[in-house]
Amino acid sequence: MCSGRRNEGRLSRHLAIDHLRSLASPRPDGRGTWHDSRKPHSLNSPAVPFDFQRCLQACAQGDRPALQALYDHEGARLLGVARRIVQDDATAEDIVHDAFIRIWTRAASFDPARGSARGWIYSITRHLALNSIRASRRETEFDDVEVDAALAMRGGLDGMDLWSGSAKIYRCLEQLQPAPQRCILHAYVDGCSHAEIASLLGAPLGTVKAWIKRSLKALRECLE
Amino acid sequence: MKPDAIEALHALAGEYVLGTLPPEQHAAIAERLSADPALRAAVDAWEARLLPLTELATAQPPSARLWGRIQRSLDELPAPARASQLGWWQRLGLWQGLSAAGLAASLLLAFTLLTTPAPTTRYLVVLVAPSSQAPGWVVQASDSRVIELIPLGRDAVPEGMALQFWTKGEQWQAPVSLGLVKPGEPYRVPLQSLPPLEANQLFELTLEKAGGSPSGLPTGPVKFIGRAVKVI
Repeated sequence: MCSGRRNEGRLSRHLAIDHLRSLASPRPDGRGTWHDSRKPHSLNSPAVPFDFQRCLQACAQGDRPALQALYDHEGARLLGVARRIVQDDATAEDIVHDAFIRIWTRAASFDPARGSARGWIYSITRHLALNSIRASRRETEFDDVEVDAALAMRGGLDGMDLWSGSAKIYRCLEQLQPAPQRCILHAYVDGCSHAEIASLLGAPLGTVKAWIKRSLKALRECLE
Repeated sequence: MKPDAIEALHALAGEYVLGTLPPEQHAAIAERLSADPALRAAVDAWEARLLPLTELATAQPPSARLWGRIQRSLDELPAPARASQLGWWQRLGLWQGLSAAGLAASLLLAFTLLTTPAPTTRYLVVLVAPSSQAPGWVVQASDSRVIELIPLGRDAVPEGMALQFWTKGEQWQAPVSLGLVKPGEPYRVPLQSLPPLEANQLFELTLEKAGGSPSGLPTGPVKFIGRAVKVI
């Protein structure tokens, strides 16, 4: 949920900005900014690359420890992705639970020709989370008018120009105008709908739709 | 596909992965994916493009009980659902069936080998002219009851004379007449009244007066002669 709950929406947006800033300025200790300082032993440690594909192959063979290894390695990040979209700890854990059941039962259907094993795992988790908020959106039918657009715009787009991540897509995002850039991030990272983004940015719905369409085209061309 | 259609496909796939499509349209796309390879490829490409953005969500350690919950759910999964995902080469039933069939086949083969009588020994004789060593006839015995005399050429037999066929085992007292042979024609001899063929048994054709040797023993010149050899 994005703008359905105002306070959480604001919090989430601030987290995003903080994160973008921290990505731009590496910490003095040289560790990646998404290194969780509370659990430095496994999270995001790039020293030994985790073999996601072999892990899925083992899962397909019924190797339960392989699934646990995947959970130990990636569980916290997957939970972070789900939590960001559903904005609720308990629901996020439900999503990760369902995702791991699905990974286990469908591991044999993973096709390396279609993409990376890691991407497959994240895709499963994200789509479960998106489906979950779609279902709850239908139930709540929140009113767009209630959303304080001006509040959503507060804080502006500062920090965006400093932003740089490791993957090429960050470089491509930098080339977008700030507002279209935010559309992509709110949609992908926060799971916001067109209407929710329009409320957050205080922009007309049609404009948001056009920004997203144009941004996707620009990203695709930039990444080609 | 026209460029516009390709653009539309990429735009649709992009919004599907982004998650901004209306629920009904999102569900419709999900439905189409299995049957539409072009759309699936476009969606896969977008999943790969946008994947690095998942780094923007702060990792959150799961509660201690989440893994236990996952394990309990895995334990409750119906077993057949997993078995059906195994490749055919991993199916126990298949290999059990194949090994049972293999065992049955080898038992049948062993039974057949043990109950079939050993094949009869085969003999061959090449009858050659004593002077030139030129082969003229072949004697072949493929079973113990009949021998066959096969001409290799056509011999001229003088008027009023005949070729008589003889055989003599090594331990026999005297040769035995196997009858008169027409030049150039195969000749079959039943062996009921004779002992079984043996190695080195002598065969010959002699030139006798028409009607055969009156004494019952060869009297005329030997035209062709040879000894039986065992064929392996």
